[in-house]
Amino acid sequence: MNGLTMDGPTMNTLIQATGLGLRYGQKHALDDVSFSVPKGRVVGLLGHNGAGKTSLMKALVGQVAVSGQLSVLGFEPRQQRVPLLQQVAYIPDVAILPRWATPAQLITLMSGLHPRFSADRARALLRRTSVGLDDKVKTLSKGMVVQVHLALVAAIDAQLMILDEPTLGLDVLSRKAFYEMLLDEWCDGERSVLVSTHQVEEIETLLSDVLMLNEGKLVLSISLADIDQRFVALGHDPAVADAVAAAHPLLRYRVQGGSAALFDGPPPADVLALGRPLRPSLVDLFVALTRQPDINRTV
Amino acid sequence: MTQFLTLLRREWMQHRIGWLLVMLTPTVLLLLLSVVDGGLQIKLNGDDLQLPPLRQATALMQISLLVLAVTGCTLGLALLAMGFQLPGLAQRDQQDRSVEFWNSLPVGHAKSVAAMLIAQILLLPWLAIVVGMVGGLLAATLTIVASHGPLAWAAQPWGLLLAATAALLLRLTLGLLLAAAWLSPLLLLTMAAAAWLRRWGVPVVVAASLAGTLVLDKYLPTPLVGPWLQQVSAEALQALLHIDAMRTLQLHNSADWLAALQALPMLLLHDLAPLLARAVTPGFVLALAGAALGFLLLVLRRQQGA
Repeated sequence: MNGLTMDGPTMNTLIQATGLGLRYGQKHALDDVSFSVPKGRVVGLLGHNGAGKTSLMKALVGQVAVSGQLSVLGFEPRQQRVPLLQQVAYIPDVAILPRWATPAQLITLMSGLHPRFSADRARALLRRTSVGLDDKVKTLSKGMVVQVHLALVAAIDAQLMILDEPTLGLDVLSRKAFYEMLLDEWCDGERSVLVSTHQVEEIETLLSDVLMLNEGKLVLSISLADIDQRFVALGHDPAVADAVAAAHPLLRYRVQGGSAALFDGPPPADVLALGRPLRPSLVDLFVALTRQPDINRTV
Repeated sequence: MTQFLTLLRREWMQHRIGWLLVMLTPTVLLLLLSVVDGGLQIKLNGDDLQLPPLRQATALMQISLLVLAVTGCTLGLALLAMGFQLPGLAQRDQQDRSVEFWNSLPVGHAKSVAAMLIAQILLLPWLAIVVGMVGGLLAATLTIVASHGPLAWAAQPWGLLLAATAALLLRLTLGLLLAAAWLSPLLLLTMAAAAWLRRWGVPVVVAASLAGTLVLDKYLPTPLVGPWLQQVSAEALQALLHIDAMRTLQLHNSADWLAALQALPMLLLHDLAPLLARAVTPGFVLALAGAALGFLLLVLRRQQGA
């Protein structure tokens, strides 16, 4: 298995979601969402604010009830939340560690509350940051709090890490430090990470797969390796813009020195001859699939 | 069990400064008073008729009263602090959003809520009793040693005092447990209201109690709300403070006081039976049912995490 699939559960499947639905009043937070995540993948869950990312994340760890079928590490999250969370490392949001606590106290508490938590590993990870064990969380910057949280969570011997907008509101240096620590200390080819964000360009290089949500619908579920095969970006002169537009690209956009169009699948040969192939970026794909609901399709 | 003890430890970590302040203030004040000139004094020969009646008492009586006073003050302060804190505790983790951190750990919601309630409603007052008793004995020791020297201290019947204090601690421990159980529907439903309605929670509970007592009871064939509130309050007070057996004691002079202290452990033991009998009543079961409802509402709120 290469990446995200729509197949049924296998020994390698960590998450299997089929037809997930969730409504807040009239609004669909999740609408018939189906996907699976195998072992050893780094999956980006992309979407605008309000696209349904947090609802999906909370459903995965049993914090909200959803319709449909959901299995995470073989557990039904809502009914088996406690055993599931013993094997899932989860960072729900930035800067939500208790403000009264120190990292040392949090390590003590997590040692007693989480059976798969290693205090020694957490201390070792914290030593690589600028945060002291006895610093109060309320005295730390947002970036430091996130580093502490990641150090705590990375010290859990889990198979799956779920990160909900972990770097929201952080400066570039903090974001870089966070993702470096994530890659160095967590990703070993066996464990999987599901990370939600709308800062698409920053995590593109980290990801092996991507899920894209738009207004509760899953509009894309694909491995990054397959993106180049499926989507075609075509750079062209403005003079042939009308001819390119007639081929109904997903997105037309500006690039340095001209225009470009993004197609789902290869465009007709005569259109292809009008320009030069470009590598489709995740950002362009994100814009194409999430800015206009009428052209979105569930994949 | 490890998880539950860790959750109790979390309560201590988070609230220890406030708890220590509440519990140690009376003791520290007394200790200071016991070492300054003109401060606390214990008179060893209590037959000087020139002194006010309290000062005529024997050292034993003065020490006992000192221990009782410090224990009472410390417990009172702790209960006052608990009363003020409880509505806010119901939503403390929601307020700083750390509830999402706690909920990301493999701990059941019911366990988290139960640990908080046990720590705040039982452990805090119980620790206050222990600290008050120890503080009273320490203050008495310091006062006697400072005024009369260590030999005078050694001459006091400390074995008798300690036995009586330990018996009283056991009685108050059970009393605290029963008092908390009687009051639990009021406490937990108020907390639940604060958790669900936020700042409107306490006003709504007060308004509902007043409406039930002043309005609803008038339209019912038999008043229910007012009498029930009175019953749980009276029973809680009785469980904690009212020691039936103590009525039989005659405390006119120092010999009476000595005899009373010697008899105290047995008297308290005999007092247990009627105390427990009161817990086997429909009113007590109703109180526990109300507490269970409050607990369920608190757990549901925590489950929501918002």
